[in-house]
Amino acid sequence: MRREKIYSYVVTFLLLFLAIVWIYPYLWLFISSFKPAEDIFTTFFPKRFTLEHYRFIFVMADRFERPFVRAFLNSLFISSTVTFSVIFTSMLVGYAISRIRFRIGKFLFNFIIYQMLFPGFMFTIPMFVLIRTFGWLNTYQALIVPSLTSSWGIFMFAQNFKTIPQDYIDAAKIDGANNFWVVLRVMLPLSRSTASIVGLFTFIGVWDNFLWPLMVMKDYKKMPLSVLLASFNHEYASYIGPVLAGAVIQTVPMVIIFLLLRNYFLQGISMSLR
Amino acid sequence: MRSKFGRRERLFGYSIVFPYLAYTAVFWGYPFIWMVILAFTKWNYFSKPRFFGIQNFMRIFTDSTVLRIALNTLNFLAYLIPMVLTASLLFALALTKVRFGKTFIMLSFLVANVSSGVAYSLLFSNLFAVNGPINRLLDRLFGITIPWFSNPQLAVFSICLIITWKFIGYYGLILYAGLLSIPSSLFEAAQLDGANRSQIFWKITLPLLNPSLITVTVLAVMLTFGIFTEPYLITGGGPMQRTTTFLIYMYDTAFKRIDPSYATTVAIVTALTSYVIVMLIRKFFEKEVSFV
Repeated sequence: MRREKIYSYVVTFLLLFLAIVWIYPYLWLFISSFKPAEDIFTTFFPKRFTLEHYRFIFVMADRFERPFVRAFLNSLFISSTVTFSVIFTSMLVGYAISRIRFRIGKFLFNFIIYQMLFPGFMFTIPMFVLIRTFGWLNTYQALIVPSLTSSWGIFMFAQNFKTIPQDYIDAAKIDGANNFWVVLRVMLPLSRSTASIVGLFTFIGVWDNFLWPLMVMKDYKKMPLSVLLASFNHEYASYIGPVLAGAVIQTVPMVIIFLLLRNYFLQGISMSLR
Repeated sequence: MRSKFGRRERLFGYSIVFPYLAYTAVFWGYPFIWMVILAFTKWNYFSKPRFFGIQNFMRIFTDSTVLRIALNTLNFLAYLIPMVLTASLLFALALTKVRFGKTFIMLSFLVANVSSGVAYSLLFSNLFAVNGPINRLLDRLFGITIPWFSNPQLAVFSICLIITWKFIGYYGLILYAGLLSIPSSLFEAAQLDGANRSQIFWKITLPLLNPSLITVTVLAVMLTFGIFTEPYLITGGGPMQRTTTFLIYMYDTAFKRIDPSYATTVAIVTALTSYVIVMLIRKFFEKEVSFV
């Protein structure tokens, strides 16, 4: 038993050490973005801290035709619009196919599972053709409209709504609530964790998306941050400081959201086990 | 009572379902049809699509770049699957022994998973640069520097390394949840019967963890077929095309060589290949597990 105990302490300290190794790249990135350019590759703790890279990004980058602040706001706008819409539509469609008894609901449920079988990259080129036909290249619509619904989100809500007792719905209806009110005021509060999981993963997915905006957005003013940062790195890779500062700005919102919603993230992982 | 609400409820249902179906018809059905059209035609975005039979598919079998990419993908799989499986299994096993600080450990490993593809590619390409901090450290300690991204084999390995960095936390927690679902009475019974630690691991833990291990393997295989951002930003597909992936080829074919038909065909064949590999894994390695 004693050996067992020593063993578990050794494992604990090893894992704590590895945990620090795992966040080391983040620490390096964060600290480096405040280092003078000549210190970035040489010292971990610099002699002095500087904000010059952030000043470059916020003030000078416009002269390089790379409006970082605007790109950050673009990303924020695109990601929140899509997230809000996905939660709203998934909730309604999820309710329709899980709680309303009609034939089309069953059909739709199977159809959604069928849709989830196709990997997204099969649709990228045909979707590009569609967006081009609409004349939506280099517009915000191209980045937002194709992702307004999500079959995964609908599936998650439908599965969750199935577990809610019918009595709650009946009670609300006897009190005179209409169907829309039932979904918004009874079902949604009862599935707060599903909504958070769907929202969290949708937001991260859109914020992180690279291939699609790279294809449809060539206008620097409307680019999301991911593509703008990549294109800045492509042309000015020698400006390591600003590139790293940009990477920090791209990472920070995701880390904050992750830390705020970490419990839902863990739930989401255990739910993906089926 | 139910019949009174039934009609209104169905009406509400239709008013949700029909707009949704209309949206899906445009943003899923239409691209789906175009996918089929593109695969069997030749088109350059401007002229009328010309019927091309199965020539796009035939071209894949004679395309030397496709062969190169298929080998690259195997190369990625050969590094990534063992690395990710072993590392996340060790992580999950170690996590069951942890005495304190479990939340900190889980969060540190998971926070890597929410790193944005672009940001972490740029971060690692600088961290592992020829004169970057990692090489400076190696130089000081052992007097060597490693060409992380400029040697063909090493480039593949390094990309697998940073993908492993990103996904250990996520996959490890899937396995950890699997470990927790194994009833502890089984381990106690085995210990009473005099089984030693390695017997317990190979005969009880590993077989009973099969569903989670398969889940992780399947996720990692699908991930490998979808690699794009890392090689696109770090190596640009090189050196010697060794880190070119299917998605990079699809992107280049569609936009640099202006051949959306062939690009779509490549995407379809890639999806089918990954699907077949997943089915094979399921068929040969998946075991029914029940805790009696």
